[in-house]
Amino acid sequence: MKKKKILIVEDEKILADMYRDKFTQAGFEVILADSAEEGLKVTKKEMPDLILLDILLPRENGIGFLKRLKKDPKLSSIPVVAFSNYDDPETKKEAYELGAKDYLIKTSYTPKEIIEKVKSYLR
Amino acid sequence: MLLGFNDNYNLIHYTFLFIINVGALGLSFWVYLAGRQKIENRFFLLLTIFLLFWIDGGYLFSILKDFTQALFLGRLILGMVCLFLISLYFFLKYFPIKDKKEQKTIDTIILLSGFIIFFVTIFTNFVVRNVELTQWGNNPIYHPIGRIIFYGTIIIIAILILFKLFLKYSYLTKNEKIKVQYFLIGLSIFIVINLFFNVALPLWRGTIQYWQFGNYSAIFLIGFTAYAIVKRELFGIKVILTEVLVGVIAILLLVQVLVSESLLEYLWKGGLFVLFLIFGYFLIQSVIREIKRRAELQKLYEQVNRLSKTKSEFISIASHQLRTPLTAIKGYISMMLEKTYGKLPPKMKKPLENIYISNERLIKLVNDLLNVSRIEAGRMKLKLEKASIEEIISSVIEELENEAKNKKIYLKFSKPLKKLPKISIDKDKFRQVVMNVIDNAIRYTEKGGITVKAKDLKSKIQIIISDTGAGLTKDELSKMFESFSRGTAGTQLYTEGVGLGLYVAKKFTEMHRGKIWAESEGKGKGSTFYIELPIK
Repeated sequence: MKKKKILIVEDEKILADMYRDKFTQAGFEVILADSAEEGLKVTKKEMPDLILLDILLPRENGIGFLKRLKKDPKLSSIPVVAFSNYDDPETKKEAYELGAKDYLIKTSYTPKEIIEKVKSYLR
Repeated sequence: MLLGFNDNYNLIHYTFLFIINVGALGLSFWVYLAGRQKIENRFFLLLTIFLLFWIDGGYLFSILKDFTQALFLGRLILGMVCLFLISLYFFLKYFPIKDKKEQKTIDTIILLSGFIIFFVTIFTNFVVRNVELTQWGNNPIYHPIGRIIFYGTIIIIAILILFKLFLKYSYLTKNEKIKVQYFLIGLSIFIVINLFFNVALPLWRGTIQYWQFGNYSAIFLIGFTAYAIVKRELFGIKVILTEVLVGVIAILLLVQVLVSESLLEYLWKGGLFVLFLIFGYFLIQSVIREIKRRAELQKLYEQVNRLSKTKSEFISIASHQLRTPLTAIKGYISMMLEKTYGKLPPKMKKPLENIYISNERLIKLVNDLLNVSRIEAGRMKLKLEKASIEEIISSVIEELENEAKNKKIYLKFSKPLKKLPKISIDKDKFRQVVMNVIDNAIRYTEKGGITVKAKDLKSKIQIIISDTGAGLTKDELSKMFESFSRGTAGTQLYTEGVGLGLYVAKKFTEMHRGKIWAESEGKGKGSTFYIELPIK
């Protein structure tokens, strides 16, 4: 069976490496991007099955990424799960309005639990 | 040359005209000198001059003996009405701020129609054909069609001006809106007094002898507008109304003084007038003081609010920064325990579990800090949905089971025999309530354990969490749910908690219109916590 391709947009290298390790071990193909710009570039090139998107990113934040993704008809159908430690109700609301499937607070989940969530959105 | 009305009649009008001319010119020059470069100030001076021509001319017209002169003056004052409206239109284009959108077509329409009707009125007999002498002075005789066209144009221009102001109002700031409100109050008084003297009184008493007083009320329009333009601090309508009231009574008293017929009358009315001026001065001062005090209080209140907002924003960002390393610790330890990086030496398992539990406690502390800052800043909102209380309790117990096992105490949920109804709650926040109370019970129980029950009390659901722990004194019970307060057992047994959990639990329960309290028979006799939520 073809491996599912996950793009993780995360600027904290320690966290990005940690999630890459766990997702790889769980049988996913993982691509990393550390900014919104790079994330969009990689999305166009790789067409991932799901994007795990951090919200507080350097220069352009995750909300900006979502806006640009939704404007592109080729990319807008890719499911996005926002995950951040920035627990702001307004930002959460905006992310949902822009089509994010979920908004996970990173500290509330172990990487294994995040994989469970991701799998449920890939079904 | 002038018609001979009785002396008192003329004296009253002269007094009013003097006060209005001096007052209006004084105010408009005050405005002009306060900001000569400002276009709205120049237009305000211009519209005041046209208005005074209209008012003074109106009086002079009514008493002129020479018909040719009266006819010209009658036409001229109607022309002044046109010029007044044009200048009012351009004044409002810049007051209180410049229009965001340039509307050159409307500008042209107003200018063209205003000037055409001005010239037609002054230089032709299309609007005013002649002048007739009535009991109360000269009266213009209008051309029937000219009259309709003249007043029709004036009304259309006035409606256009108000409509534009209405559109502009929507994008003004709060302070700018207050300025427009002052202008509108002045305008309303002007219109209402005019309606009274020119419409109500003629209909009621059949006389137009007081129509001049309608014109005199223009001083309110000038006064309110000047105040709104120049005053940086608007003290509020209360001060203005007090000033207006004192001013009006003072004018009436002054007129009484001027029409006195004997020295004695002159003296006592003069004395009364002076006394009233002193009283009025102190009255206005006291109102100003009161308003200033209120403004200071409002300022302080806003400052406190700003500080509180800054504090909660700081905590939001700080929480985010704290959570990043906590996420890494949680993630890596959990992955080590899950053997993502290979088999663990058996000796490592327990220390890693302890690190994990301590880290969870830190995460919880950060969450509580964030919650408290949001609660205190009033930024916490409920996201209500129908949910099962039993499912939430079960999931909390599942999460805390290991912690209880580590302390070798039991943690059980005695489910009710009959399933509880789903109720409207914020799932995350209610979960936090149950989590914080059970977590607190685990922390202060060294032997025995914790039992959770849930009951349907018809109009509400009650959750009972009883432990066999340290117990609470009466004093502790009363302070249990305050922030940063812990029972004495807390200070003796543990040091890591800061007593935020129960405070958050109380606030979240209250947001659900529920109740939370604790009972204990005393030290060493355990405690029972009750949470009640209405069934909605």
